[in-house]
Amino acid sequence: MILQVRDLSMRLASGGRPVAILDAVTFEVARGEVVAITGPSGSGKSTLLGLIAGLDTPSAGSIVVDGVNVTALGESALARFRRRAIGYVFQSYHLIPTLSALENVAIPLELAGAPAALGRAAALLADVGLAARAHHYPAQLSGGEQQRVAIARALALRPALVLADEPTGNLDSATGAAIIDLLLALNHEHGSTLLLVTHDAALAQRANRVIGLRDGRLVREPQPAAVS
Amino acid sequence: MTGFPLRMAWRQSRGAWRHFLAFFACVVLGVGALVSVGTFAANVERALGREAKSLLGGDVELRSARPLPPDAAPALARLRQAGARVTAIRELVAMARDPARGESLLVELKVVDGAYPLYGELATEPAEAMGSLGAGGGALVQRELLDRLGLRVGGRIAVGDAVLTIAGVVAREPDRPASLISLGPRVMIGARALEATGLMRFGSRVRYRTLVRLPETVAPRAAREELARALADPGVRVSSFDEAQPGLRRFFTQLTTYLGLVGLASLLVGGIGVASSVSTFLRRQVATIAILKALGAGSRTLVATYTVQTLALGLAGSVAGALLGVLLQPILIGLLSGMVPFAIESGPELGTVARGIVMGVLVSLLCALWPLLQVREVRPSLLLRRDVEAGTPGRRPWPAAIPVALGLVALCIWQAGSLKVGGIFLGASVAALGVLAALSWVLVIAARRVPRLPWPAWRQGVSSLRRPGGHPARVIVALGAGVMLLVAVALLERNIGHQIDHEQRKEAPSFFFVDVQTDQREAFARTVVEAGAAPPALTPIVRARLAAIDGAPVTREMVDGNRDDAAQERAFYFTREYVLTYAEEPPRGNAITRGRWWTAGEVATRALISVEEMAARRLGVGLGSRLTFDVQGVPIEAEITSLRKVDWQSMTMNFFVIFSPGALAGAPATYVASARVPAAAEAALQNAVVAAFPNVTAVPVRDILERVSAVLGEIGLAVRLIAVFTVATGIVVMAGALAATRYQRLYESVVLRTLGATRGAVARAFAVEYACLGVTAGVGGTLLAVALAWVVVHYMLDAPWTFEPAAMMAGVALTIVVAVAIGFLATFRLLGQKPLAVLRGE
Repeated sequence: MILQVRDLSMRLASGGRPVAILDAVTFEVARGEVVAITGPSGSGKSTLLGLIAGLDTPSAGSIVVDGVNVTALGESALARFRRRAIGYVFQSYHLIPTLSALENVAIPLELAGAPAALGRAAALLADVGLAARAHHYPAQLSGGEQQRVAIARALALRPALVLADEPTGNLDSATGAAIIDLLLALNHEHGSTLLLVTHDAALAQRANRVIGLRDGRLVREPQPAAVS
Repeated sequence: MTGFPLRMAWRQSRGAWRHFLAFFACVVLGVGALVSVGTFAANVERALGREAKSLLGGDVELRSARPLPPDAAPALARLRQAGARVTAIRELVAMARDPARGESLLVELKVVDGAYPLYGELATEPAEAMGSLGAGGGALVQRELLDRLGLRVGGRIAVGDAVLTIAGVVAREPDRPASLISLGPRVMIGARALEATGLMRFGSRVRYRTLVRLPETVAPRAAREELARALADPGVRVSSFDEAQPGLRRFFTQLTTYLGLVGLASLLVGGIGVASSVSTFLRRQVATIAILKALGAGSRTLVATYTVQTLALGLAGSVAGALLGVLLQPILIGLLSGMVPFAIESGPELGTVARGIVMGVLVSLLCALWPLLQVREVRPSLLLRRDVEAGTPGRRPWPAAIPVALGLVALCIWQAGSLKVGGIFLGASVAALGVLAALSWVLVIAARRVPRLPWPAWRQGVSSLRRPGGHPARVIVALGAGVMLLVAVALLERNIGHQIDHEQRKEAPSFFFVDVQTDQREAFARTVVEAGAAPPALTPIVRARLAAIDGAPVTREMVDGNRDDAAQERAFYFTREYVLTYAEEPPRGNAITRGRWWTAGEVATRALISVEEMAARRLGVGLGSRLTFDVQGVPIEAEITSLRKVDWQSMTMNFFVIFSPGALAGAPATYVASARVPAAAEAALQNAVVAAFPNVTAVPVRDILERVSAVLGEIGLAVRLIAVFTVATGIVVMAGALAATRYQRLYESVVLRTLGATRGAVARAFAVEYACLGVTAGVGGTLLAVALAWVVVHYMLDAPWTFEPAAMMAGVALTIVVAVAIGFLATFRLLGQKPLAVLRGE
């Protein structure tokens, strides 16, 4: 198993009273799987993904990624864990506006002290079809292009687990489909595991398995007809 | 990994230079102020060091108020044998007059011999004029004397009883400058001419200086030691050129210390700007920080990244500031060079530049550290639900503030050069900051509490003061600090101006007449009355030296043991030539602080004295102590029965020591008198007295006050120049703080305009807000300025305080104007933005 989530709960204070964002969520993901997490907005999908990446600390429960108990890690250890094990693709891309596309992709490589970071970043940009746009800044790129840069950045260190939070949410449907094609193709090529948050049923059908979330609890969802 | 902070810092700064303009400007101005003062101090010090021998006139100086005692001759002879050259100089003030027309002028007379000068060059026109002094009849004068008396070279002047030919003009005198303010132009004569003047009679105040130029083989300190051992009389001060502390050096040390503190104030105000601009920048970087954390960057790496950025920026600003400081040098020297008799070259000094850069970098770092530490508090989860918890949690790393505060304290003390001055500066700064911060807090509270105002611009403007981000505090503190310094300088100048404005001081005499002899009293009084003044009161004075305290003789060991400033000041009280008087009643303006004034019965039996309290403290004596004075070789012992506080600012004759009547009966006295006449009659009175009594010196009070005023004017300009740095920094901080609210302002103004407000209405609302900030900063800064100036006037100058409502109002009014102007310059472009574009962007 690449991911084991046990009894995961997350409560936040909202307007002075606690709200359960996630309530005793338990599931596992096998290595190489593509899993879609679906549910209406506010169901806790993004929070679940963020907790898996160690971006926040859960109120209860445990998360084990690639044998590492994420919930037990301190801040610095978490940062190293994210760098090594996780690739994260955000709905709103979250590129750094003052850096060029190339430099954005190079960040994880540089943080890891990888040699020839810029050269490798250029190759990654070429893989997502943006070799010609390497020196553009995010503001000069379209939404689809920005998400491609974000994908290249997420995959730069070949993480075992790729988390994508509504990667097509801000894109028109044609561009969104192209991004999903790219994500799946690269995932396949790198042999990584992909956990994909979406409320797009068609997109969810392209995963191996669908996990449904409603009000912070797991619910049964129709599973994809065929394994892609 | 190690390269990441550097690379990232560079990439971040590349696009964000606009955000850092305020940061950069603050550091440039602060360091510029410090370096310009420091470089000036170094240049003066260098010039003083270079000129030290010629300023003293020799390697070693013997100085006394009486002719050298006999034991000096063999010691000097020994040095002569070793190859030393010796010259004897006498200096006194006297009157010079035009023998034809009778116009007169107070002059500083200097009697030199053929060996003068030992160091440096006496420049005269014509060049060989010095030769005529030996012959007896010649005098060299400063150009000012010719101008004021309407004389020419080759003409004649009368000094005392002698009539001398003006042989030439003194263009440059190497050892002129002992004090900042001269009493009058120089007249240089030879020994025989002095005899002819008849001024060397009893009671005249003469300074005897014997200067020695040593051969290379004899060390000045050693020669000084030897001479001091040989001369038992402590009244002869023996100093070598490198330890003689002419007033000039001390003056410049103090001036540059205070200027340095003003410079430091501007750097600290700049620190506020740095902190403010870093925290604004980081607020905008929160998303980037969260992204980087999500990508696996640790807090330490990120703090390092932003610290590197701050350091680089601080360094760049400091280097530019140092350059500015060095470039400003000629201006500062131009302002102050009138005070020194030698050229000050404007050159950079490596140590000062390095120190300024270090100060700039450390202040930037220390002030940026506090906001920088917030980087650690940014949670990557911010990216997941921005709307739930906007901004960062407000947990401040309080313990981290301790080293920051300690670092700033250490820098202040370093710059001040002493724990005491640094401590006072810090205390005052913290108090001033506290007052201004409290005022800004009051303003914000008031803005919250104020009832709904009927005028839209006012309502909108006042409510803007409560905008999150706390810009009022930054603007008010920074602007208020600058206002405080400038207004304080203005208030001080006006207060001192009252003190030295002869017209305003009705009680101040026009003249002090010195050295009136006993047999001249009646004729002198008649002459004064005939010239239109009230009958002058003649005060008897007897010159004497302190010989013993409680029977223990004053010896050279008591005086020479220590050469630090405090000991030197004490030595002044032990060795000075005392001007004694006697009186039945305490003089006006003197207050008895200990003991009581004598009664007629008490003085019949023994000699009693009243001593000024500061002199008593320095001498270490009190009520009941016995002081013995040496009056022309005759010891007179008297007991202290009272201590007095003397108002030294009162322009009357004041005495350290007053004897009971009769105690000085046998001593030969001369008389001092004062007289006041209208300004137009002053010259006639002076000329009449000097014509009738050539030995009497008329000290023109108005003229001397004007000389003092001119020097103070130059100092005031220099202080203002440096204080302007603080104001400029305050303006930058204000502009920066307002720029930090730009996006909010933009949004607000656009929303308002969408709702139908005109551009003018939005501008009026902005103006109200800026004016509120200006009023608060102006009132706060001006009140602090009053406090600062009052402390200086009351405690340091010991002078009465006058309120200056006009200067205070001007301070407040100008601050409002500046605040509104800067506010508009920083934000007017927002008014031109098209609403739709802005709203779509949001």
